Amino acid sequence: MIENSFNRRDFMRVLGWGGATVALSGCGNTSIEDGKELVTSYVEAADYVIPSIGTYFNTTCAQCDAGCGIMGRVREGRVLKLEGNPTSSINKGKTCGLGQAGVQAHYNPDRVREPLLRNGSKGETITWEKALELIKDKIGVGAGEVAFLTGGVSGHTKVLLKNYLDALGSGHHYAYEAVSPAIIRAANKKAYGVEMPRLRLDKAKVIVSFGADFLGAWVSPVHFAQQYARFRKNAQGERGVLVQIESKMTLTGANADRWLAVRPGTEGILALGLINGLAAAGLSVPKDVLDLVRSYTISRVSKDTGVSTEHMDKLVALLRARSPSLVIAGSAAEGYAHGSQNAAAINLLNKVLGNVGKTVEPPSAISFPQITPTTGNRSALQALNDSMAQGKVKVLFSYGANPVFTAPVTMKLKENMKKVPFKVAFAHYMDETAIEADLVLPLNSAMEDWSTSVPEYVAEGAQLNIQQPLMEKLYPGTLGMGDILLALLKQRRPDEYKGYEDFYSYLRGAMVSIKGTLGKASESDDTFWDGALSHGVVKLKDTPISLANKVSAGNLALPAPFAEDGGYPLHLIPAVSASLRDGRNANEPWLQESPDPLTTIVWDSWVEVHPKTAAKLGIVEGDIVEVASKSGAIKAQVYVFPGIHPDVISVPLGYGHEAMGRYAKGVGANVFRMLDPIFDKETGELAMHETRVKITKAGQRVIIVKDEGPAGGNQMGRKIAVRMSSEKANISKEV
Amino acid sequence: MYNFLRLSVLFAGLFAATCGYAANAPPPLTTSDDLGPEVVQPIEFPHNKHAGDAAKGGMQINCMYCHTYARRSAVAGIPPLQKCIGCHQSIESVRETPRIKKLFEYWEAKKAVPWKKVHDLPDFVRFNHERHIQRFIFKQGKPVQEVCGYCHGDVKTMTVARRQKPLSMGWCISCHQKDHPVDAASTKTTHGPNDCWQCHK
Repeated sequence: MIENSFNRRDFMRVLGWGGATVALSGCGNTSIEDGKELVTSYVEAADYVIPSIGTYFNTTCAQCDAGCGIMGRVREGRVLKLEGNPTSSINKGKTCGLGQAGVQAHYNPDRVREPLLRNGSKGETITWEKALELIKDKIGVGAGEVAFLTGGVSGHTKVLLKNYLDALGSGHHYAYEAVSPAIIRAANKKAYGVEMPRLRLDKAKVIVSFGADFLGAWVSPVHFAQQYARFRKNAQGERGVLVQIESKMTLTGANADRWLAVRPGTEGILALGLINGLAAAGLSVPKDVLDLVRSYTISRVSKDTGVSTEHMDKLVALLRARSPSLVIAGSAAEGYAHGSQNAAAINLLNKVLGNVGKTVEPPSAISFPQITPTTGNRSALQALNDSMAQGKVKVLFSYGANPVFTAPVTMKLKENMKKVPFKVAFAHYMDETAIEADLVLPLNSAMEDWSTSVPEYVAEGAQLNIQQPLMEKLYPGTLGMGDILLALLKQRRPDEYKGYEDFYSYLRGAMVSIKGTLGKASESDDTFWDGALSHGVVKLKDTPISLANKVSAGNLALPAPFAEDGGYPLHLIPAVSASLRDGRNANEPWLQESPDPLTTIVWDSWVEVHPKTAAKLGIVEGDIVEVASKSGAIKAQVYVFPGIHPDVISVPLGYGHEAMGRYAKGVGANVFRMLDPIFDKETGELAMHETRVKITKAGQRVIIVKDEGPAGGNQMGRKIAVRMSSEKANISKEV
Repeated sequence: MYNFLRLSVLFAGLFAATCGYAANAPPPLTTSDDLGPEVVQPIEFPHNKHAGDAAKGGMQINCMYCHTYARRSAVAGIPPLQKCIGCHQSIESVRETPRIKKLFEYWEAKKAVPWKKVHDLPDFVRFNHERHIQRFIFKQGKPVQEVCGYCHGDVKTMTVARRQKPLSMGWCISCHQKDHPVDAASTKTTHGPNDCWQCHK
């Protein structure tokens, strides 16, 4: 929020005076620096290097877990711009805004540059040798487990990590993702035998999405966006119909033909109501399912969910008329104590509609189980937290996760971490977790590092993504995760790993050794390896598997809709924004600067409130309100927005860092902290949408910084274009 | 309310302006005969020996043999050190001269020679070597040294290069306004582009 009384007009005035004087001083001089500037040439130039002309190298985007292939334009040894890699079947040459900002992760001024050892409240620079020696010593002391907390991991990093933990004997791996479809994965595993079946949006004629923001931030948005384009206009020129059912409008909801605001938590009830309606409309439904949905009549479901009977009838008619369809359970459906049940009900609807096998397809199995992705969830952090609380952990490693930022305050994670004698953070930034650590080890950026990864969701076949350096390291003091793991392994199993000089040689050796199974046995090692690097992806043998058909009505029991809570009357939906996600990229200014697609707000958190609710509470846009749950409270500006259920307010995640860097720190408020400790009953996952809140005016009012509005946001009443209805406009005069 | 602030900014700016003038007065960037400043280079590279006429003891090497990027890219580029060594490792006669010894010191340390820039343009000007070279050397078939010399002067007579032309906008325009044959065979002529964005983009 902008609380400074120095407003824009005064700012412009001062800038004007200042600018005029500075311009004066510039008179007669230019930026010509004959004889001053250096023109350093190459010592040895590669044949393809021509100064001022870019060379493209393929690698893998590390901004989120979708694993899109990217190619970086490199000029004079510096990476300048990222594009999509057309060879990757995930994104086929496209990127998203989040991916584009990857260069800012690399050139970020707040990166950690040297290994730091805690000395009181300060970090002292130490050498890598000393740092690694220290880890060896600390692991050798005392009893207890060595806990390795990571985000989702795959590829050869996962192999080394597993080998290291095996070598330690007492190592435990906790894979934690703050924002992940963990409950849906579990429901899918139960229903289909796989965590993520392939969703063929392009084959569907109707998509009913229960809060899956597949165009914005869900699973693999760049891939889904391309499928979505074919769904909207397929080979026959037909246009698919998208119905989005959610309590808070997402980017996908904004693109839908029909957006239905559902009472939070009643998504499963609505799915069963639709099955009931479909059965009544003549769809053949198995007997056990029919028994289950008998009581979910359209009128009752309409009362429970707040979706009108008219809309439900239309939706039933649409699903009857157009087949195949696709029903997707997204984060809005899974975020409740009965999230697993919601997801199961939605899977049941898919089965009844006959979509399994048509628009829900099996993924490919990967023939190398050791490199398959280990996906993260929130219960892993819970388990780690319990271990730390009991004082069982002697050394904690943290890599690719920022739990101090993303854990709810009720977990007391920060306090429990203090019980761990030695904490090591592998970090790009001094984020909230790194600040708590005893030893901070600086990592190479994704544009300086070697690694391989297998994304969780691969649309076609099976592929291994290769991440290769696009340029020399910016700081000599950083190291790649693979290199660190290799060095740690050399401490434990020197005989096994002494042959590998660095992670690159390990990786090359490992890849070359499997070339036979990839059908490239006839190629020389160099040809194979160069080919892999130049494509940026390696196609793995595609072993088809079949979906287990275990979707059933058994055990499905949905609770009644929420009872009102007088003290905390509103539901809080922590929104996953396409740019900031769980906040790991918050220190990239482009992401802070790019307006939120729906509200156009930049550089701050906001509270989305329905106009009716706002009127009832007497609040208007720009009011600073306190949003309080039973576990915590934040303050943020109100944005009145009709795309939200009146009983719901929504605040985006990823803002409100207390550390990390100059662009992230102090911008907005952190919603993760105030989430209530309510868990999904089946999986034990934190139910992200269960928190109830109340809002009260804090007294201040600010001007929201945003792009939207007929006057181009708030530009002092200056108008860009006069708004009038089109029938009144006389085009010949306007032009 | 902000008068105080405004005035202080104004004064600060004026002060900076005066200081700027005082500090920048000598030496002028362009002299009366358009010569640039003399630039001291880490190695006093003898262009005259390499590109000069054979009659005067020169090697008559084509400019584009070393400045190989000029015909392919916006910038001419300084040749990689590897290129110097490529010839000089087999030229025993000058191997022990001070300049070549220094050259090999850089090579053995695998360090780039910190050459100073001689021809600089303001940051808002984009000059493209490739366009000019392709047009005048490859299409019109003019001699290389003549074409390079339009802007760089008679480099084959210099040791280290020194700017010979003003490289100002008016000077560029003066040539862009002339009619030039489109290729060696044709009598058709065109003048250079006159759009602002050709150079200012």
